[in-house]
Amino acid sequence: MNDSMMNSTDEKPATRRRSSFLWFSLALLGISLCVLRVAVASQDGAAASAEAARTLWQSIGIWVAAFMTLGIFSFLYKDNPFYKVCESVLIGVSAAYWMVSAFWSTLVPQLFAKLSPTLVKSYAMPSLTPSETPGLDFALALVPLALGGMLLWRLAPKGQWISVWPIAMVIGVTAGLRLISAVESDFLAQISATMRPLIVLETTTDAAGVATRSFDFWGTVGGFVGVIGVLSVLSYFLFSIEHKGVVGKSARLGIWFLMITFGGAFGLTVMGRITLLAQRFEFLFKDWLGIG
Amino acid sequence: MTNPQHIGGIRGFFARLGGIDRRWIFLAMGLSIAIPILLKLRFPEYPGPMARATFAAVEKVPEGSTVLLSFDYDPASAAELQPMASALVHHCASRKLKIVFMALWPLGKQQADRTIDTVLKPFHPEYREGIDYAQLGFQAGNEGVIKVMATNLPKQYPNDADGKAIGDIPLLKDAKDLGAFKLVASISAGYPGAKEWVQYGNGAMPEAFEVVSGSTGVQVGQLLPYYPRQMEGLLVAVKGAAEYEMLVEAKYPAADPEVIGQGRVRMGPQLVAHLLMIALIVLGNIAMIAGRPRGGAR
Repeated sequence: MNDSMMNSTDEKPATRRRSSFLWFSLALLGISLCVLRVAVASQDGAAASAEAARTLWQSIGIWVAAFMTLGIFSFLYKDNPFYKVCESVLIGVSAAYWMVSAFWSTLVPQLFAKLSPTLVKSYAMPSLTPSETPGLDFALALVPLALGGMLLWRLAPKGQWISVWPIAMVIGVTAGLRLISAVESDFLAQISATMRPLIVLETTTDAAGVATRSFDFWGTVGGFVGVIGVLSVLSYFLFSIEHKGVVGKSARLGIWFLMITFGGAFGLTVMGRITLLAQRFEFLFKDWLGIG
Repeated sequence: MTNPQHIGGIRGFFARLGGIDRRWIFLAMGLSIAIPILLKLRFPEYPGPMARATFAAVEKVPEGSTVLLSFDYDPASAAELQPMASALVHHCASRKLKIVFMALWPLGKQQADRTIDTVLKPFHPEYREGIDYAQLGFQAGNEGVIKVMATNLPKQYPNDADGKAIGDIPLLKDAKDLGAFKLVASISAGYPGAKEWVQYGNGAMPEAFEVVSGSTGVQVGQLLPYYPRQMEGLLVAVKGAAEYEMLVEAKYPAADPEVIGQGRVRMGPQLVAHLLMIALIVLGNIAMIAGRPRGGAR
């Protein structure tokens, strides 16, 4: 008990020291970057002219973006209030943008413009083209208006079941829309694409126009790998048959194919994340600090 | 497991390496990306079959034909996708193709505007709005937008992004549906994007036009099954962008290689960061093995 109390009292100054070190490092980094920024701008003619070409608001935007970027990066060292502020700003701005975007790109042109075209044309969309069938448009627009109202009923103290109907309609329409395309593009066309020659022959035409056929080794290997991969992965998903004997071995091979696929997908994801980081560094070096 | 502090020699060094503060790894990763950017490290790219197929698909479109470029991404994915969008627009304009821009993502319109301002206007000043290119902008509705465009383009887009009636735009006045385009290119970061263009665009009119796509690394796994039967070409993340840039730059050199070369610039840090990651994986495994007790239970 005493030991644990002593440890906790020892840890407090250590934690405080680490926290002070963090803030001191962050402040030092910020000051160093600002000094570097000013120094580069005053010495480098290209950076100075680029700076002069910017408007005040563009410069403010770049500085805010730079500090936001550094704020997000600061989490890599330790969770801190600077990071929390940047994270909250990002979430808030994104949510607000999506709300405004949805209002102006969906509600105004798809609903309000049909319910009251004159009003929308006068105050919101001067380019609104008059409909040839305004009466029909008005009547049809009442349907999504009613469904939207029913959806919001979920917030009412009573009758939440009303909101189930528009949700059911959304699910039904989406399923209907996707069913045909899924069968055509993701089922039939994929089966057709899998059926390809195992022995691949490449046709080449020389300068005289004489066509010759030659054996494509890697194309043939690809064909065999494709067929074996499809069959073994499918056998892994045969849950109604016990994975023993030939089926068991095939399923095991299927797991290997799946693992290699997941590894490839993960590698591509990592590549994407590195690109994002590289682009942020490019922004900091080039747009903000004027170096690189 | 044996306490690494009690192991001596090289084995002890590697065992202690397993307990390294992860912030050192973050720092190493940061430096592996920052230094190549500052040193402007560039490595040669060798175009793969998918990049070559994308290039060939654009080359195949007859001069003067109209192509549709759908900007289905936002700034969060611009690091990967903007290089290929810039190269694609430069390629199409160099081949004197008419370009129609649109977006299935709300911020895709801004990305298209940015590409017009940084690529089309400075490198191809002869391109006139409404005659050689048009900006349709964003329309809400996800795959529904494609579905309506496949049967009635003016119904989905009665106006362009500036509010001009589609019938008053010379480039689009005769466009009835997606059959007006010889090629549809979707620069895609997710849903809705290239997958929906294959399913609802190409699926509805398989003979009318070809589909090519540039995609983020995260999404490309979903698109690979469509190549090459349902998708003529596919650019895979920033690597695909760099390869495609090489092909475009070789045939149609741009006035400013910095703009049509962002993909190659970002491949320098990729290489160094990947080498670091491989080294860390190897070291991590050595550290794990070194930390095991000799002859003990595994």
